[in-house]
Amino acid sequence: MSRFLIQRPLPHGGRLVERVITDKEAAKKMIKGCPSYDIKPTLHYETGVPVRNVYREIMSICYGFFSPVEGSMKQAEVERILKERRLLNEWIFPYPLVFDISEEDYKKLGVGAGDRLVLNLKGKPFAILDIEEVWRIDNPEELAHLTFGTPERNPEVVKEPFNKKHPGWVIYRSLQPVVLAGKYTIINEPKLRPPFDRFWYPPRKSREEFDRRGWRTVINHQTRNVPHVGHEFLMKCAAFTGDVEPCHGILVNAVIGVKRRGDYPDEAIVEGHEAVNKGGYIKPERHLPTIVLWDMRYGNPLESLLHGIIRQNMGCTHHMFGRDHAAVGEYYDKWATQILWTKGIPSFGFPAPPTDVPYGLDIRPQNMREFSYCPTCKEMAYSETCGHKREKLSGSFLRGMVAEGVQPPSIIMRPEVYKVIVKWWKHFGYPFCNEKYVVNKEKELEVDLEDL
Amino acid sequence: MGEYFIVVLLDDHRMAKIRGTGLEENIKYMFGGELRLLEVPVNEELKDKILQEFDTARVDSRGAITDVPVAFMRELFNQIVEKKSLGPEVVEAVLQKVDEIKEAAAKESEYLPPPEID
Ligand SMILES: [Zn+2]
Repeated sequence: MSRFLIQRPLPHGGRLVERVITDKEAAKKMIKGCPSYDIKPTLHYETGVPVRNVYREIMSICYGFFSPVEGSMKQAEVERILKERRLLNEWIFPYPLVFDISEEDYKKLGVGAGDRLVLNLKGKPFAILDIEEVWRIDNPEELAHLTFGTPERNPEVVKEPFNKKHPGWVIYRSLQPVVLAGKYTIINEPKLRPPFDRFWYPPRKSREEFDRRGWRTVINHQTRNVPHVGHEFLMKCAAFTGDVEPCHGILVNAVIGVKRRGDYPDEAIVEGHEAVNKGGYIKPERHLPTIVLWDMRYGNPLESLLHGIIRQNMGCTHHMFGRDHAAVGEYYDKWATQILWTKGIPSFGFPAPPTDVPYGLDIRPQNMREFSYCPTCKEMAYSETCGHKREKLSGSFLRGMVAEGVQPPSIIMRPEVYKVIVKWWKHFGYPFCNEKYVVNKEKELEVDLEDL
Repeated sequence: MGEYFIVVLLDDHRMAKIRGTGLEENIKYMFGGELRLLEVPVNEELKDKILQEFDTARVDSRGAITDVPVAFMRELFNQIVEKKSLGPEVVEAVLQKVDEIKEAAAKESEYLPPPEID
């Protein structure tokens, strides 16, 4: 065996967290006589619009996407994350994750440390929270600032103070004051609604799927977008990394969660990526579109760290990162993610890259620029190798074209992908997420539950 | 020719309607000839009118007027076909329907008619 071969990394923390009870009778016994609480969406602290649903975190924790995190965090753990982005067990992790409720609900529930709380979703028992500690968020605005950083504390990458125009900051600013900390366990497995069900590959299943397909090296493509040809070229060319041969597989992992107006619908995003392989633009044998449930925090370098954790847990060896990775606005340096993965960000607790610190990651970053059409080369060309003037494709130009009902040429967007957009456009009466879609999505969520 | 213009994209459906209007020679190409478009010249006065009527409208660094309502763009294409021209009478005719367009534009934030493809 060549010493250059790269092996699939272990999950972050050494083993996969799996906290899902599939035996319904056992589950019924576990919750007998326990108090229960209906999961509520986190509402924007000013406008009341849903900005997060903790159910997505419970799913991602219990199915192991966020290994080694096992539940809602204790105060000491949140404080450590804000200081040095580490869990109490030493492993690196970017964000506080908590189960927060209002003072009124806390009083009504009358629970405390040592109690088991049943969490209902859509009127059905869904999970349990074994409470180990109750603590309070005294100042959610300060928590929000500490979570994302400030220009004073994090001068390497934070350019502007965060504010209510940043959707991630708003999530932390909108948290309720009482935190119930402790491990989650899913006791009633939700069924993913179509079309999301066929893209549901929790880490154990994705690792098994990689084995089945003979994929040793796999590069991940993070997405929240319907793919255009620029994305397709990024995926297939980034896959030429690998070890002694290009990566065996390309994992597309779409972040599915609360939407903003003007985004493409999640249904069109996942089926759009699937259309790329169904159309043969990337062989289906080499390409797997999947999802993870998460309300994006748009934390650029911090989000890239979470992405690295999720995809290492899923079994990937490589991860593509681009400019303004998972960013919104100009709060962070547009290369903040590349700074983190190539030299580290000391003020965030990384004197070296997350792959070069103790209890860090094993997944390899692949930093990519962009592809666009070159009329001289007469092909999709890479920004760092083509020396000509290229015809750049902006997202807004493409969206304008779509909104007008003009089919983009296949060198911009594959006809199979465009058909998917139109399919969901007909379904929702709109090509992008409008207010009705955003509101409805948070009511229906991505899952259904049966009686326990 | 004014200093401003609006880009009208042409897909196969629109190309079929352009055929025979005499406007074929004005078609411009991008992306290796795969994207066809017409540039409708707009004079200073009409540019000001468009910006005044539609608050989303902008002029980009090339002088292209962008971000007007979809209903405006659809009507602009209809008028081009009807008048078989790219002259100022086309934009003028569109602006005569400004109330109708604004009404459609208000609904555009919640509904857009999907294209007819199978
Ligand atoms: Zn070139």
